[in-house]
Amino acid sequence: MMRYLKLVNFEINRFSKIYLTLLLITLLSQFAGVLIVTKSLLNDAKEIMLEEKLSEVAYLSEYGGIDFTHIANTLWFLGPIALSAVALIFYIFLIWYRDWFGKNTFIYRLLMLPTSRLSIYLSKATAIFLMVLGLIAWQMILLPLENALFHSSVPEAFLNMEMSTSSIAAANGILMLIIPSTFTQFLLSYGIGLMVMSILFTAIMFERSFRMKGILLGLLYGGVAAALFLTPVFIMASEIFHFYSNELFGLLLTLGIIVTGLSIWLGSWLLKNRVTV
Amino acid sequence: MIEVKKVSKKYGRKKILDGVSFTANKGEVTCLIGINGVGKTTTLKAIMGLTPYKGEILINGQTMTKDSYEKITFIPDAPTMLPQMTVKQAMVFMKDFYHSWNQERALQLLEFFKLKEESRISELSKGNTAKLNLMLGLSLDVDYVLMDEPFSGIDIFSREQIANVFASHLIEDRGVIITTHEIGDIEHLIDKVILLDNGTVLKEFNTEEMREEEGKSVVDVMREVYQA
Amino acid sequence: MNVNTREPVYLQVVRHFKEQIAIGTLVAGQEIPSRRELAATLNINPNTAQKAYKEMEEQGLIHTERNFPSQITTNETVLQAVRQELILEAVESFVDAIRPINVPVDELLRVVKQKYSEEIREEEGK
Repeated sequence: MMRYLKLVNFEINRFSKIYLTLLLITLLSQFAGVLIVTKSLLNDAKEIMLEEKLSEVAYLSEYGGIDFTHIANTLWFLGPIALSAVALIFYIFLIWYRDWFGKNTFIYRLLMLPTSRLSIYLSKATAIFLMVLGLIAWQMILLPLENALFHSSVPEAFLNMEMSTSSIAAANGILMLIIPSTFTQFLLSYGIGLMVMSILFTAIMFERSFRMKGILLGLLYGGVAAALFLTPVFIMASEIFHFYSNELFGLLLTLGIIVTGLSIWLGSWLLKNRVTV
Repeated sequence: MIEVKKVSKKYGRKKILDGVSFTANKGEVTCLIGINGVGKTTTLKAIMGLTPYKGEILINGQTMTKDSYEKITFIPDAPTMLPQMTVKQAMVFMKDFYHSWNQERALQLLEFFKLKEESRISELSKGNTAKLNLMLGLSLDVDYVLMDEPFSGIDIFSREQIANVFASHLIEDRGVIITTHEIGDIEHLIDKVILLDNGTVLKEFNTEEMREEEGKSVVDVMREVYQA
Repeated sequence: MNVNTREPVYLQVVRHFKEQIAIGTLVAGQEIPSRRELAATLNINPNTAQKAYKEMEEQGLIHTERNFPSQITTNETVLQAVRQELILEAVESFVDAIRPINVPVDELLRVVKQKYSEEIREEEGK
């Protein structure tokens, strides 16, 4: 257990420079976005008022004011979220392959640690999951601050409505996904995320065990796992049977747990018995 | 004792090991020699559970488990610590993960090899990288140390220094299995020789017995066996 | 010690000790290094050092009392024999080498005497 925790810590440390850079980029880009986008929106409004000789009241009734959704839909705001997401998805692969193909072959050391291969497998998964949660937490800290900055830089008349952090999150498709408002949504977002990660890890283990043939096996496994998970959806789509939404949710949850468990078991089994350094 | 029993291994269709059997004793230096590169490293990896194989390998009569890594260690021909680490950080890493880490001996080896704790691994010369590898492996209180080509591609003085380790108290009574093709550096230091070719054991002998009974050096025997 | 890889290393170690006894570097009753120390100084395998000590024990050159470092024997007969043995061994191999040339004994002795004193003078001159 201690070694597992040390490994998690070790894995996080190895990614910490890039990770902190991601956090910093998010901070800078989103705050800059709030200031720049607000300013340009207000400038546009002034220009239109000048051109069309509208009073403030007339302009607002014609075109409406602004609110945080205007910010949240810009590249300034969503760009760093997308960048972080891409970086972490990329890291799902890198966290394994760097140990084989990095400048030094660390995989020798890693697989010779007096700890179970399952701990090694799980430590990498945990590190990535914690980093995802960290990014979300960071976004949840930033959001109210950005919201406050936005409020203070927009004249009250132009403000459509004061939005709470949760209503901002609910109004934006991407934010809704990463900051779920209900527990069910949380389970869906993060449960599916975990499951996909475990399937990818296992596909990587197939490749590391059987090389070229392993890529095919990995793809095959991914397909089978996805099909298994989505069985209830297929059943419903083919109109053989209808599930109520809570039934569907229950089924997906159960299948998700099964698929994740199977992937972890298979992946760590491959790491223990079939992988070649 | 390490017992390798009828171990076979294929990469694709290519047979790397084809029924390799030999034993290596604790307290002895056993040398795996093969003039064609293949097979030696794979044998060490198989012993260490770093590659799947057919056959059986026993360490002190038991198959490998995770706890065996406290009792047997492998020093590969490549650096195993992250390049951005310092020597000191590598030592702390080892200490963190292995109960069998012996800090006192680590410091002795550091001194013996004249390595500096603050050096960054990425900046070490090839000779010093090999020494660091050796230092990290030998600082574990293990029964067996497996070394893959500790002399390849490094300068003569580093080679001499590494060879001296075998004669020193730093090895103590551990069993050592070493692969090399530069037998000259250590010929007088090894107890036992296993000659491999095409994935099979061609000959297994004790060096002192060979000298006493047939008056042949290891190189003489190699010449006979490989040029036959 | 220069190691010959065709001759058992432990026997070379034994000869090394005998030479030291013959020239008086090692004297009767003197403590000798542990097998590990010896291995490190001569850069040989500790097992070989162990075997060399065992051989020397058997030949009566050293003796070990429980829990004490081994010592060179105090038996003068054995020590004298060592000197004789080395001389005889060296002369034997010399004779083997010179025999095919078929030199008359008198000439040979004269050359040996001359060469030997030259060597000694050179060494003393250094």
